[in-house]
Amino acid sequence: MTKDWKKIARASGLPIPDEALERITPTLDALEADFRRLARDLPPEAEPAPVFCADRDGDA
Amino acid sequence: MTLLEAAAALRRREASSAELTAAALDRIARLNPGCNAMQCVMADAARERARQADVELASGHGRGPLHGIPIAVKDLFATKGVRTTGGSKLFENYVPDHDAAVIELLQAGGAVLVGKTGMHELAYGITSSNPHFGAVRNPWDRDRIPGGSSGGSGAAVAGGMVFMAMGSDTGGSIRIPASFCGVVGLKPTYGRVSRYGALPLGFTLDHIGPLTRSVRDAGAVLNIIAGHDPRDPASSRRAVENYVPELQPSLRGLRIGLPENFYFDRLDPEVEAAVRDAFRGAESRGAQTVPVPVPDIAATNTVARVILLAEAAAVLEPHLDKRDQFGPDVLALLDQGRLLPATDYITAQRLRGEMQRAFHALWSRVDCLFTPTTPTTAPLIGETSTAIRGESEDVRLAATRLVRAVNVLGLPAVSIPCGYDRRGLPIGLQIIGPPFAEALILRVAQALLPVEAAAPRL
Repeated sequence: MTKDWKKIARASGLPIPDEALERITPTLDALEADFRRLARDLPPEAEPAPVFCADRDGDA
Repeated sequence: MTLLEAAAALRRREASSAELTAAALDRIARLNPGCNAMQCVMADAARERARQADVELASGHGRGPLHGIPIAVKDLFATKGVRTTGGSKLFENYVPDHDAAVIELLQAGGAVLVGKTGMHELAYGITSSNPHFGAVRNPWDRDRIPGGSSGGSGAAVAGGMVFMAMGSDTGGSIRIPASFCGVVGLKPTYGRVSRYGALPLGFTLDHIGPLTRSVRDAGAVLNIIAGHDPRDPASSRRAVENYVPELQPSLRGLRIGLPENFYFDRLDPEVEAAVRDAFRGAESRGAQTVPVPVPDIAATNTVARVILLAEAAAVLEPHLDKRDQFGPDVLALLDQGRLLPATDYITAQRLRGEMQRAFHALWSRVDCLFTPTTPTTAPLIGETSTAIRGESEDVRLAATRLVRAVNVLGLPAVSIPCGYDRRGLPIGLQIIGPPFAEALILRVAQALLPVEAAAPRL
């Protein structure tokens, strides 16, 4: 199911003009479809890649 | 002449920094109007710095191979007292009160900064056709893009204006211009070079590295800029190595991975032929070609796009009320990023961890991978789509298709010229290694390109 990007923009209070939204909709739809397929197969225990270091002197 | 050859000439007193710098400034004056590689030229400061370098060298206070060498940096590195635009109208009057970490290190090494190079707006694109500062043009054919976002750095080095130009790479922005401009472009491992003072685009994807005309030059620069910096939260404490390879290294016993999937699926035939020749070149120097399946690169590229859209939108959100100050391509990407939910960003970072693990297993089978850097040679300025084997593909997505995943994985990669197409345009070979294997990929690159990269006739 494709998302309604215009509604999302309005609900989020993003002042993106309609014509700009129309231009990016096909790209977002394609990315959304690809991404959703990947996310569906992700095991629940998978954690985000580490970036944050609790110890500021620690190695990344 | 390469950077290291110029350094040797300085040490032998066969040349002075003042002479090298004057030659660089003359070449910039002659060539830059035609290719717009340099966005800002710091002639007076460079002459003074060169004079100081000559005094120090004459008194025996050599600071290393960059001492007295004219260089340039992409205009997203903070330079104290010198305008730093990031290729953006937003920052057209921004004059930092500090230097970026790499600027500090290069200047401590005695380099002579002659100017700052043009770039794609905010480093968010691959054409370097900047709506505010003009299009950077490829020295090999001025009707073509130099690649991006470090397009000015690629063009300045290819055009012989400077011996080295620093770039940044969030989704291929060092390697793409290296490929299109026929020079060496090194993207080190994430965390190897400090990002402090570089305008961020994607915090977890941004890398800093040099563009040069020889492999050994790239290693010499990495020797200076690599190392831990507590001001960069992702900076690694891993010990640095000597990254300058031998002149004629052997590849005996090395396993070169030939990807069985993705990387050779849709290429310009001349690019494919040149890259396949590189395997034969490596074999003739003792390496073994090992065909290997690689993890899902298309999926990794999708994850890269989600991460970058979200991170770039987060970085630039405070400025997005000034829509007229962005070019249309960058604004479209930022709008896309604002529409993604936070959960997608987190999910993308979770997928990234899975992909990193999948890729890690590959390094038990091969020592490095050879791939094309870009599926085509440099497109024409203004082209939005390119035909590859009869199929049309968006120029930006095509140019980033083979390089973007490496940023998600944080791996080191170098692009070197490996041939030329029928129009005489350079073809890039990408060598990808395991984390922190910069010395290894530079050794392999040196074996394949033991001389200075060919220069365009200008």
